[in-house]
Amino acid sequence: MMDELLVMTVIAGRRAAFRAVEVQAVIEIEIIHPVPRAPDFIAGLTALRSQSLTVIDCRRSLGLAGDSAADSRAAVVEVGGHPYALLVDTVEDVVEARSAPHPVPGGLGAAWERVGIGMIETDAEPALLVDIAKMVAGPDQAIRGLAA
Amino acid sequence: MDDLLAEFVAETREMLEAIAGEIVAWEADPADRARLDGIFRFVHTVKGNCGFFDFPRLEKLSHAAESVLAEVRAGRRVPDVGLVNAVLAIIDRISQMADAIDAGQDLPGTGDDDLIAALEPDATEAEGDGVGAAASGATMQDDTNEKTIGAHQTVTPRSIRLPVELLDRVMSGISDMVLARNDLARRLRDAGAQPTIDGPFERLTGILTDVREAVTRMRMQRIEHLYNALPRLVRDLSADLGKQVMIDLEGGDVELDREMIEMIRDPVTHIIRNAIDHGIETPATRLAAGKREIGLLSFAARQSGNKITITITDDGRGLDLAKLASKAVAAHIVSQREADEMSRNQLQQLIFEPGLSTADTVSNVSGRGVGMDVVRANLEKIGGTIQVRSKAGEGTLFILEIPLTLSIVAGLTVGAEGQRFAIPRSYVEEIVHGAAASLEYSTVGDSELVTFRGKRIACLSLANVLGMTRGQSVRGKTLVLVRLGSGDLFAVAVDRIYDHEDLVVKPLAPAVMATGVYAGTTLLDDGSPILMLDMPTIAQQNGLVSEVRLRPASVEPEDVEVSEKTRPVMLFVGIDGRRRAMDMDIVRRIDIAPVAAIDIEGARAQIVIDGEILPLVGAYGGAMPADKLKLLRLSDGTCELAYAVREVSDAAVIDSAIVPAGADDDLIEGVTLIGGEPVGIIDGMKLFARHGSPPQSSVPLVCRLPAADGWARTMLEPLVKAAGYRLAASDDEAADVTILMENDDAETSDHDGQIICLHADAEAPVSTADRIYRYDRDALLGALRTARGGRP
Repeated sequence: MMDELLVMTVIAGRRAAFRAVEVQAVIEIEIIHPVPRAPDFIAGLTALRSQSLTVIDCRRSLGLAGDSAADSRAAVVEVGGHPYALLVDTVEDVVEARSAPHPVPGGLGAAWERVGIGMIETDAEPALLVDIAKMVAGPDQAIRGLAA
Repeated sequence: MDDLLAEFVAETREMLEAIAGEIVAWEADPADRARLDGIFRFVHTVKGNCGFFDFPRLEKLSHAAESVLAEVRAGRRVPDVGLVNAVLAIIDRISQMADAIDAGQDLPGTGDDDLIAALEPDATEAEGDGVGAAASGATMQDDTNEKTIGAHQTVTPRSIRLPVELLDRVMSGISDMVLARNDLARRLRDAGAQPTIDGPFERLTGILTDVREAVTRMRMQRIEHLYNALPRLVRDLSADLGKQVMIDLEGGDVELDREMIEMIRDPVTHIIRNAIDHGIETPATRLAAGKREIGLLSFAARQSGNKITITITDDGRGLDLAKLASKAVAAHIVSQREADEMSRNQLQQLIFEPGLSTADTVSNVSGRGVGMDVVRANLEKIGGTIQVRSKAGEGTLFILEIPLTLSIVAGLTVGAEGQRFAIPRSYVEEIVHGAAASLEYSTVGDSELVTFRGKRIACLSLANVLGMTRGQSVRGKTLVLVRLGSGDLFAVAVDRIYDHEDLVVKPLAPAVMATGVYAGTTLLDDGSPILMLDMPTIAQQNGLVSEVRLRPASVEPEDVEVSEKTRPVMLFVGIDGRRRAMDMDIVRRIDIAPVAAIDIEGARAQIVIDGEILPLVGAYGGAMPADKLKLLRLSDGTCELAYAVREVSDAAVIDSAIVPAGADDDLIEGVTLIGGEPVGIIDGMKLFARHGSPPQSSVPLVCRLPAADGWARTMLEPLVKAAGYRLAASDDEAADVTILMENDDAETSDHDGQIICLHADAEAPVSTADRIYRYDRDALLGALRTARGGRP
């Protein structure tokens, strides 16, 4: 897994990495059209060229409070044939991985455990490699049930 | 008819190909239930299809094979070698016959009776001494020879087959291009006029529109193509079974994948057969049960998002759940204990189990309990679903849902709390502005109701439904009246209506789909994504879907009292400048047509709308507008009329007394005061009696001409046909009108219907009521018109 390219982001103040091959683009989101009655981690819909993207608020997908919209940049990914925009605090850079993902001593904590694949080393500081499919799926049914 | 025949042959061959393997496997293991079911479905389908065409031999063969296989399925016969051979011989014969039909030849060979006799149990017993075996063996030998001959004559079709996936890809590519074009158009607009780019862009737009249309046509067909065959089928079946059935088709302009139409043709046919055979009672039984003696079979097609919903409703006796349960137990599909524990709904779903039928007698039409399992299997193959709801004594409703891989939906965009949503236009019955005086709101418990045209209907606030607000009142908002495929009507209150748009609907992410209130998403021309609402689910979540659609209730005579109290009318100003009122019930819609589409000839005015010729009323007494004409489209259920008006004013309710009109205009029923002003009320009854003409597709009246009379053939025949009559095909056929020549010696006793007598006395070319001079064209046409007066 050496030399793999990573998109470095900040989610809820923590460094999180997406596999660059999974990210189709990083876009500037102009307007988000809310989706009434959708779970709160779905920020809404936005248009990218002729596509309609489902915008996922990563902070809320982790079950954390607060909004991600400090910077309106988002990573565009496709899961199960549906296009999504992952809304994060900031998108920083594309860097090379310096290690394979490996478990974090002491675990990731309740919020991150579900989406985290493992810790990955970069030239700067280490980051958490995130599973986009789990990020898109949102909190577990149980958590969603409590929220509703 | 040739198309249908070709289709029949193609379908039979396709099925033969598909079951060829099954047959061999069944021969090896006659106890194999799945193979048996497959072969059974084949002969059943062939038998069913024969009903359309006149192939008594084919029908007899397939019926015989089906009977035997049904016995086997029920466990009353054991499939021994003799039986298997006999069935196989029949299937081979069916294949030969299909080849012969395709080649336009006479059906090959005789000896069908031998084949059928070989199915009998005693024939198989006789097999022991060699006679039966020799007989069936010999026939099979013949068959193989003839079959090789037949195979040479198979013609290669002149069309090509393409994989559906390829068409799908092209189609979705085009849709994306349309969206990309819209996006580009918006950016160009933002950038201001750029002559060098705008020209080519316009051209691109034009080409894209053409291509999109072509690609859409490649795959889509109006569901009318399916509907067209139904009235005939219903007519024939009900005549066979001694029942009276009326058919009501709705939503014929819903477009659906061509392949889908073919795939649902059989299931729909099966459902109709069952409905007429088992559902709808005989006229006597119906009268005894307090129903109208004519049964009603209604069809409605609706499109929503990427689904087409077809509902088929009959107002017959409904499913007999107790009987269904006991049959299911007898057929070992469920145990008695399971049956006892099943809910109403679960019991109803039993009709989709193989080998189950509630019919006591096996008729030629249906009733072996195939059908519904075949129907479900075929629908599931294309990713569709079928549900049944039924109420004993009141009717049965089948809901077929068929997917559309990708669709362009006509939508209405509406606003709630500043956000836009789309509603599929096929659901939208009408839009009413909340301030209209004809609306009356009431709140019962937490439900808000609105009274509109004498009907109290539930009213939902869209913002409440979507959880954007809580307890927002619907009063004063714009109401969208929504009618579901099941016939349920309700109103949705929105802040505003934006526009009608053609929308390319894309699927939604699963997490959004899970909310249940959306059917898809689409991009508007300005590039903003909006959500398309899933109206059936919204209705269901709010408890607005009834168990069984009961449309006839609205036309039952009991309603008269209610509707007389509040008789809703539409106010308009006629071409002659006078204020008139028309009963709302007969107004279908308001249309605008170019004046050029009107054709006035003598006292008869007609107008061409959407390729149909309608009688035009009210086009006198004043100057016509210069180019466009407003029309009220009227319908009494069978006939359509267009009524020319200068201006449509408002909807109103007649609450004061009606003063009978004078004799000057007998189309006026009377005059009443509406809003303090006198208004003439149009007498809808007289209007239709006088001007209504049956739609072109209806069965024409039959007229008998003097036999073997040259003059009648050359002069009379075209005239009679032009008057909308059909000539009697044979001497036995009952005629509505008989035309006689005075000097005709024929017996007058066997003439049926009305009689028109012509005389050739040129000395006295005068026509009286019972004697018409044969060249008095006007009098003759008048007599023919009078004769049809009894029928609308």
